[in-house]
Amino acid sequence: MLLAIGIAALAGILYLVYLDRLVTRQFEGRRWTLPAQVFAAPLELYTGLALSAAQLEQELQRLHYRRAERPERLGTYRVAGARFDVALRPARFADETRNAQLLSIVAGPQGLESLRDSAGHDVPVLRLEPLLIGSIFPIHGEDRIIVTPQEVPALLPAALKAVEDRKFDSHHGVDPVAMLRALWVNLRARQIEQGGSTLTQQLVRSYFLSSRQTLSRKVREAIMAMALDAHFTKADLMNAYINEIFLGQDGDRAIHGFGLASQFYFGKPLAELDLSEVALLVAVVRGPSYYDPRRHPERAHLRRDLVLKIMADQGIVTAREASAAAHQPLGVTGRPAGAYYPAYLDFVRRTLRRDYHDQDLTEAGLRIYTSLEPRAQEQAEQALDRELTRLDRQRKHAQQPLEGAVVVTSPQSGDVIAIVGGRNVGYDGFDRALDAHRSMGSLVKPFIYLTALESGHYNAATVVQDEPIDVKLAGDKHWRPENFTHQTYGPVPVVRALAESLNLATVGMGLDVGVPKIAQTLQRFGLSQSPAQVPAMLLGSLDVTPLEATQLFNGLANGGFHNPLRAVRAVISTDGKPLKAFPLEVTQVASPEIVYQLDRMLVQVMERGTGRPARALLPANLVVAGKSGTSSEFRDSWFAGFSGSHLAVVWVGYDDNEPTGFTGSAGALPVWAHVMAGLGTDSWDAPMPDTLVDIHIEYPTGLRVVPGCADDIVAVAVPADAALPSKPGCGFPDNANPLTTILDRAQQWLRGRAH
Amino acid sequence: MHIRLLTLVLIAAGFSACATRGPLPPGAPPSGAPPSGTAQPETPGQAVPAPPERPAPGAPRQFHIGPAASSLVTQARTQAGGGEFGPAAATLERALRIEPGNPLLWIELGRVRLAENNAAQADAMGRKALALATGDAGAQAAAWQLIADSLRARGRDPEAAEAEGRAGTLVPH
Repeated sequence: MLLAIGIAALAGILYLVYLDRLVTRQFEGRRWTLPAQVFAAPLELYTGLALSAAQLEQELQRLHYRRAERPERLGTYRVAGARFDVALRPARFADETRNAQLLSIVAGPQGLESLRDSAGHDVPVLRLEPLLIGSIFPIHGEDRIIVTPQEVPALLPAALKAVEDRKFDSHHGVDPVAMLRALWVNLRARQIEQGGSTLTQQLVRSYFLSSRQTLSRKVREAIMAMALDAHFTKADLMNAYINEIFLGQDGDRAIHGFGLASQFYFGKPLAELDLSEVALLVAVVRGPSYYDPRRHPERAHLRRDLVLKIMADQGIVTAREASAAAHQPLGVTGRPAGAYYPAYLDFVRRTLRRDYHDQDLTEAGLRIYTSLEPRAQEQAEQALDRELTRLDRQRKHAQQPLEGAVVVTSPQSGDVIAIVGGRNVGYDGFDRALDAHRSMGSLVKPFIYLTALESGHYNAATVVQDEPIDVKLAGDKHWRPENFTHQTYGPVPVVRALAESLNLATVGMGLDVGVPKIAQTLQRFGLSQSPAQVPAMLLGSLDVTPLEATQLFNGLANGGFHNPLRAVRAVISTDGKPLKAFPLEVTQVASPEIVYQLDRMLVQVMERGTGRPARALLPANLVVAGKSGTSSEFRDSWFAGFSGSHLAVVWVGYDDNEPTGFTGSAGALPVWAHVMAGLGTDSWDAPMPDTLVDIHIEYPTGLRVVPGCADDIVAVAVPADAALPSKPGCGFPDNANPLTTILDRAQQWLRGRAH
Repeated sequence: MHIRLLTLVLIAAGFSACATRGPLPPGAPPSGAPPSGTAQPETPGQAVPAPPERPAPGAPRQFHIGPAASSLVTQARTQAGGGEFGPAAATLERALRIEPGNPLLWIELGRVRLAENNAAQADAMGRKALALATGDAGAQAAAWQLIADSLRARGRDPEAAEAEGRAGTLVPH
């Protein structure tokens, strides 16, 4: 008997020691798995930046700065006329940190007029802090932002103690009185109504991921709580609680800790929360789903006010302060901050997977700085959704909604500033920008024309034949392409063949310069696959994703220089060490002379060709260049085009590859035009290389003319030594030599027949 | 037959090339004057208003760095001077985001790349600068000099000498 008791006692002691070890180790070894935090590009402010007062205020509000009478607290600003006094928060960038400071900005009608610090000195350039756009959290979905005790407003621990655990400072991990009271209440109600758990017990429960309410679990939890309390200080336990506890759910993402909850519900750092906001978070602790302030605002409101009342009763705040806070609205942001650019984050993750294991990204607390520009991203999202809704209305009998994708870059750096993967932008699902492999149609044509220009046999004024073509394929098969209109246009200058996307003229020229050469051009510009070298490739029977199409066009927008498209600029460790940089890289893939000639023709696409409908949607004097694409039977509608400072590529189609009935000009072009119009972009204005000349030709014939001499004139850039026949009697006397004219004609004719 | 055709084409090209080397009309730009805003897509091929004139190609110009980018260049030079090439390059990238078309900034970044022994990128940035520097002999000369130094760093001395020669023939306005 004694032996049995002894064995039982020993077993009991061993069990206690085991639990003690377990919980102590768990706590000491606790490295919260810290998901990598992903940041947008910070906005650079400088005198002359084209940013209106309204836009500046939008940018401040995007970062959750609040307008105030006096900008005394960090994260507030005052507006006095055109002047903004902003109490800037401290900021961490990829390359440096910036202290909190007061900045005065004058925003005039032409943009920012001055930036001054609190001493009145001019500030040449300054970055706002980068917007947190999401985090890369693991499969089980715990996301958190760790806060140090210094970052926690004093009201928070006080409120937690008052509401959840009044004897926290004096008990030994459990509060028997509270437990008995809870037991009594629960027995009477015959169900679990009260917890009675201390903060320490809640912490234990959260660590061991079990929420079953059984007696044995309760006993185990109590023992472990006492063990924790014996080994660690109250301050350590409170800090652990603040960083650990579950406070909300956002799809797959579990919101843990008050640091992230503050961003998630209010979009600002925990340190900036006021009384009513602290009270709301404390209210949510009791039931993040039941008291979800977005889904159940009335319940959350009532419980917040109860928390405020308890705080006043306990003397933490005055009754007047509590009452004032209770009159405030809940103050939660419309949609949770962060993780709202899933398509962009998808690209970020894929970029980083080349260098990092999943675990590094989800656990190591990395800070990832990206090129995303929130303003451009939002413009692109809105333009796509709005235009697709309009286009859907035109397709009344359609069985499904149209889908689309948009990619926007800054071509000179290769920075990807926006990615929209579909209409449902908050949905972390099929990312069409990265994964929809679709036939590129006429988007391939610029690369055919570029190859033709490089051959030295063609320029913008060269006359080519748009006439029926019959290509013999293997096995007695024939390929007989047609124009979109099913007509032929006869002799046309190259600039017109491209502007109007004439298939026959293009195929003729493409066969002349050779399909393998064109395939090489595409690969030079960044096509990763080796395209099937078949004649149908000349009309774009080549599948690319919107992102791949963007890579190709980026080289055209960047004057023949290739940059690998980048979403990530730098990765910084949790203690601020630079781990990996993705520096700006350029490689020349075509001569500036050739690309300039092509780009000038792509400007004519917008002025006179398939891009023309966009003109009405764009600022009147904005010069842009672009190309439409339509795949066979209208399955894919593309538009790729650029200004001086932006490239945007748009794809519109159905997910199941059904025909849409839209050409590139009808489907993707209006989306593109709205995206570009919203960006506040600069005109395409590349400098013309010295070896080229600007000339005028007659658009229908390609004959050289002087301005005013013919009705339909277009300006093109050609090599200075290009041989160009003139329109007779049109002001080029030294070209009137009949022999020259005849030889010119012969030359043109021969080139036209060359295929 | 082919040779005869080729000869014919060459003769024609020669003649017409001579013939067109007369005085050229002032530069005509990509048309910056779109049709005044009707929402109706118009028939392609229709006449458009005459494009506005812009400075003749090759007209002399001189690039300057604005105050914001300039302060970043100063910061980058300090960083590079201390051997911090990565941060210096990151600072210059900030400047380039403000003035992406300024060849002087590309040259500056190319110089940092050269200092950290990335001659290939230095060369590419020199060429990028050159493409942007049309009309600015000083910037062109600096770009050629960067290209020359990048070539020499890779042991391509004859090409370097040629590039240097090009730099030497350009006289700033």
